[in-house]
Amino acid sequence: MTIQQRVDAANQKVAQMLTQGRPVWVDVQPAGQVIPGMTSHTILVPGPPIEIGRITPPIRTSVCGAVIHEGLAQTPAQAWEMVERGEILIRSSQDYGAANAACMVTSASMPVIVVEDKTYGGRGYAPLHPGPNPKCLRWGLYDEEVEQDLRWFRDVYGPALGQAVRLAGGIDVITVLAKTAGMGDENHNRQPAASMYLALQLIPWLLQIQSPKKDRVITHLAANDRFFLHVMMAGVESITQSCKQVPLSTVMVGMGGNGVEFGIQMAGTGNRWYTTQAPKIQGTFLKAGITEADIVGYLGDSCVTEVYGLGGMSAIAGPAYMRLTGSDYAEARSRTQKARTVSLAEHTFAPVPWENYAGFPVGVDARKVVGCNVLPISHGGSALRAGGQAGAGAAELPLECFKEALRGIAAQARRIQAEEEAK
Amino acid sequence: MNCDKILDLFRSELVTVNVGPRLFATALEKQGYAAIQVDWKPAAGGDAEMIEILELLGGLD
Repeated sequence: MTIQQRVDAANQKVAQMLTQGRPVWVDVQPAGQVIPGMTSHTILVPGPPIEIGRITPPIRTSVCGAVIHEGLAQTPAQAWEMVERGEILIRSSQDYGAANAACMVTSASMPVIVVEDKTYGGRGYAPLHPGPNPKCLRWGLYDEEVEQDLRWFRDVYGPALGQAVRLAGGIDVITVLAKTAGMGDENHNRQPAASMYLALQLIPWLLQIQSPKKDRVITHLAANDRFFLHVMMAGVESITQSCKQVPLSTVMVGMGGNGVEFGIQMAGTGNRWYTTQAPKIQGTFLKAGITEADIVGYLGDSCVTEVYGLGGMSAIAGPAYMRLTGSDYAEARSRTQKARTVSLAEHTFAPVPWENYAGFPVGVDARKVVGCNVLPISHGGSALRAGGQAGAGAAELPLECFKEALRGIAAQARRIQAEEEAK
Repeated sequence: MNCDKILDLFRSELVTVNVGPRLFATALEKQGYAAIQVDWKPAAGGDAEMIEILELLGGLD
């Protein structure tokens, strides 16, 4: 087989994994007990790896908050000194099969959603979505009030959800997407339908669990129309864990930003990152007076949903998000068409009625992105330098990441060729 | 030499198909001529290194 035939075969295998993977939410457990390689001093952060001195302010706040939450330091200053001394291990979430949205970070005692891919066996993880309160660690804010919320999540909310999902025997993520197809979710930045359907599946089991705060748990879940996002992120991670074991594949299976750099991962080279300067989210701001100078670059791992064909890739499925972010229906159609041009497959379980029942594209091939000069567009929220959400919108994925990724796969191909010729 | 076909072309309404930079089509449209713009860019934007890599890995066809 030629290299080209082997790349094509590897890509077909990854496309099959992305379309045939069956993510099922099976549990909620403390991160330190379920994420392989996680230690009591590990903090998982979004995006590609970054030097300590370049960590952006809201992530620094979240890291310090997590260190204090773990009881490893008393103040943010003490916490940061530990980070600088190397006593706290700052690691990229996606290198651990986990995803942290926006400015969220994960420490050992925090409860994480555990999703298992029942087809290929991978496991993915994500912290629970905090709910509608804008003051949260997920947006780089930390004080005593946020700490109380984190404790409630750790001691009550997480364990209660874990009990319920285990009683339910797991909740099939694909079914949630299929049942809510045509309800207006693009499932990265907008998922009220999926969140409501998920709550419908979970609440009967929550009523049966042993928990002193059952009413509050149900109220919190039912009031959160973004809850499904983090389940979906863990679901994508469960599938991409298997995709990352396929050498020579040029399919994008990871992406994220740390506020300074944006990066992607290829199936063929696993957890290796291909990075460039992070673009800024273009769209609308939540408050008058916020300007582009106030926000950091692309930040967060929630865009792993885009790897699965959601968000900007399936913008046509959620046209209301376009209006919200100052765009329109024609642009939604254009975004999905761009994704379709550079993708290898299509999901069939959630057809879009107003797109002639077409499914959403999945499996972005870096060869097509570079060769065709077509850049996929990701949706996303933007973060303020001072912490807090600035707004929401979209960003074109940087071409340079894809070029660098092709250099990486080409080097792998040449190495394989040389090894075989030497035999 | 029969030049009728060429002369017919010059006598008929001019319709242009423009491939590449949009400004050529725009210039014709401003002069009242119809132009069809083809959305095309050279493979890999003409980047020689990327073309070489794509020849190895495939994806140009």
